[in-house]
Amino acid sequence: MNIELSDLTRRFGRNTAVAGVTLEAGPGVFGLLGPNGAGKTSLLRMLATILPPSSGSLRLLDRDPARPNPRREIRRRLGYLPQNLGYYPSFTVLEFVEYFALLKEIPPARVPKAVATAVERTDLGPKARAKLRTLSGGMLRRVGIAQAIVNDPDLLLLDEPTAGLDPEQRVAFRALMRDLGQTATVIVSTHLVEDVGAACSEVALMSEGRIVFRGTPGELTARGEDHGVGDAPLERGYSAVLQAARA
Amino acid sequence: MTMPDDVDLDRVWTNVAAEVWRRQPRRLERTAARLLKSPGLARALFTTPSLLLPWVIASAVALAAGALAQAGAGQPLVWLIAPAVAAVGIAYAYGPGVDPAWELSCSCAVSDRMVLLTRAVAVFAVNALLGLAASAVALGTRAEADTAQVTFAWLLPMTAICALALAVAVAARSASAGAGAGVAVWIILVLASGAASQSGTPGAVNPHLTAAITDARLYLPYLAAAACCAAVVIFATRPQRGIK
Repeated sequence: MNIELSDLTRRFGRNTAVAGVTLEAGPGVFGLLGPNGAGKTSLLRMLATILPPSSGSLRLLDRDPARPNPRREIRRRLGYLPQNLGYYPSFTVLEFVEYFALLKEIPPARVPKAVATAVERTDLGPKARAKLRTLSGGMLRRVGIAQAIVNDPDLLLLDEPTAGLDPEQRVAFRALMRDLGQTATVIVSTHLVEDVGAACSEVALMSEGRIVFRGTPGELTARGEDHGVGDAPLERGYSAVLQAARA
Repeated sequence: MTMPDDVDLDRVWTNVAAEVWRRQPRRLERTAARLLKSPGLARALFTTPSLLLPWVIASAVALAAGALAQAGAGQPLVWLIAPAVAAVGIAYAYGPGVDPAWELSCSCAVSDRMVLLTRAVAVFAVNALLGLAASAVALGTRAEADTAQVTFAWLLPMTAICALALAVAVAARSASAGAGAGVAVWIILVLASGAASQSGTPGAVNPHLTAAITDARLYLPYLAAAACCAAVVIFATRPQRGIK
């Protein structure tokens, strides 16, 4: 298993953002759904080894991220796209992706090929030498995805990856996620249930820091039959599970 | 002309793009990469000059505070804490809200603290050289003597302590160990040189305590310590036999 969480909890003062999450995941695309404040981003940041858990156990890629050397090895094999991508405006696309390739300790001889592959996979070739400050929001999102996949990660964490992408780009990105999920564990946190339906083999729904549903997109859809609220079948399943959890 | 069926055009194109887009690091960056044993650290050092601005500001503020305190009350206590103030300022400057890619950097294998430490050493070393040059040019008058004193009293110890911290961090492969060693040695130095001093400057707040920065006899040892630490870094990061 690439991800093994047991009773994972994260508190910020009196607020509990993640409350006792237990989860295991191997290769595949795993969707993380939930309303604002459900704890998705905090969970993702703990998986990205940025935020230490308050309690519970966490193992990533069969290693303990609490110890420095295993954490470093995990980070070499980790890709992360945060919700708010920070970037250096004066960098070009190539410079930005190469910078993170080096920070991820890809051997220098392999960096040019890795950067070119990531840039091409995100369809950024024509903008490779453009400064980041000149790019649109959707383009910047793709730059963020490119840096996340530049090390060909075994564990890829994507927080709202399709925010700002146009429909055509979203379709292309879903295909990329499915491709990456053949060998890696891809965790996608999103509000867009259609992304989950199209790309994810499994889905978890979070509410108030807890996982209140885990199953396939088809099983989530089935929960919404006859009593869900929403325009699409998956949306009805989503709302039905949330209503039941809140009740 | 027909193309063979087994040619993967995507792969060919990616190889072509990799060659066309390949960046050749400058000699200074290559040297830094070898010394630091990390191309990522070297790139971080040379590629983000905008991030150096908070440090330059922190240095200038601490330097100005030291100079004003010396000119006003003649109490160099500010210099004693200036390295710590600057270090704390730098530490807080490199974080969320200031460095746009901070969160991404935190998820990378090269420790963000190592990046910070490397940049700090570079900044202080450059500032020390600039201060020394300015002092040499303007030697003679009372005001210029103060400038030289401030330069030596603040920048030299800070450079030496930062170099030590980097040497320990590189040798131990841990930024925390390096930072801890730097702070610990500075405290020991302050206490030891205070205890060893026999006489203080009249009017100073605590002449024994400030001996670590006011005793001119320590300036050369600081330089020597910085040089030794640099040698340790070079030795610890030397290329290993059989490893390319």
